[in-house]
Amino acid sequence: MTIPTADEAMTAEPGAVDRANETDEQRVARFERDALVFLDQLYGAALRMTRNPTDAEDLVQDTYVKAFASFHQFTPGTNLKAWLYRILTNSFINTYRKKQRQPQLSGGDQIEDWQLARAEAHTPEGLRTAEMEALDRMPDSAVTEAMNALSPDFRLAVYLADVEGFSYKEIAGIMGTPIGTVMSRLNRGRNQLRVALADFARENGLTQRGGRNG
Amino acid sequence: MADRDCALALARLYEFLDHELADADADSIRAHLEACEPCLDAYGVEEHIRSLVRRCCTSQRAPEHLRVRVTQVTTTTIIVRPTPAG
Repeated sequence: MTIPTADEAMTAEPGAVDRANETDEQRVARFERDALVFLDQLYGAALRMTRNPTDAEDLVQDTYVKAFASFHQFTPGTNLKAWLYRILTNSFINTYRKKQRQPQLSGGDQIEDWQLARAEAHTPEGLRTAEMEALDRMPDSAVTEAMNALSPDFRLAVYLADVEGFSYKEIAGIMGTPIGTVMSRLNRGRNQLRVALADFARENGLTQRGGRNG
Repeated sequence: MADRDCALALARLYEFLDHELADADADSIRAHLEACEPCLDAYGVEEHIRSLVRRCCTSQRAPEHLRVRVTQVTTTTIIVRPTPAG
C-alpha cells in the first residue's frame, strides 16, 4: 500500500487544478478562460503607463506571451489579476521605460514631508469646497492629462489603487517595492493630481471665484 | 486639541479612503469627520477625485485587432520546459 504524498493529497481536492498531470490543451483552455478576461483592464493600465495606443498594444501582447509561457508556474487559486499586473509592470519597466528614457525618481520617500504638506493644505477659507464643485465640470481629457503628467511610478500607483482597487499589499507585490514606498507614491501622486486639477479649474474659470487662492 | 485631531485625520486620509486602516482607527476618524467640516471637505474632494480618475480611466476597451492577437498567443507561443529529472 502506498501512502499519498502531501502534494497528491492537496491536488486531490475537488475542483483543484492538477498542474502536474494537466494536458497542454487543458492548460490552454484554463489560460483562455481565466486570463483573457483581463484584456480590457490590462490595456487600460498599459495605455496609462505608455501614454500611447501603439506601445500599449505591444505591451499587452508582450504581457500575454510571457504570462502564457510561465502559466504552468502560476499557482491556481491565488491572485491571477495581480500576477498579470506584475508581469505587465515588469515588461513596462524592462522595455518601454528604457525606450522612453523617463527620468528616474529621486530618492527620499519621506512620509513626514507629505503629512506636513497635507496638514498645511487644510485652510479654513472653504477653498476645497470650491474645488469640489469645479470637479463636477472637469472634462475627462483634463483628468487623463493630469494623470499623464505624473511620473511613471506615481501614475501607476494611483492607477492601481484608484482604478483597479488593489490593496497596498497587492500594489507592493506588483511594483516590487515595500508598502511604505507604495503609500508615499500614492500620497505624492494624488497630491500632484489634486493640485493639477485645481490649477486647471482656476485657469479655465471652473471655480466660482477667480484668481489664485494662496 | 482640534488642530492635532485635524492633522491626524488628514495624515491618514488616504489610508482611510483606501480601507487600509484598522476598524478602531477608522472609527475615530469617522467621529472626527462628523465634527469637523474642513476635514470632511478635504475627504470629500479626495473621494471625488478618485471617482473622477476611475471614470476617466475605465472607459478604455482593448481594440478588436489586439483581442485577436492576444487570443492567438496560446497557439503561436512555443513553451520550452525542462523535462522532470529522473
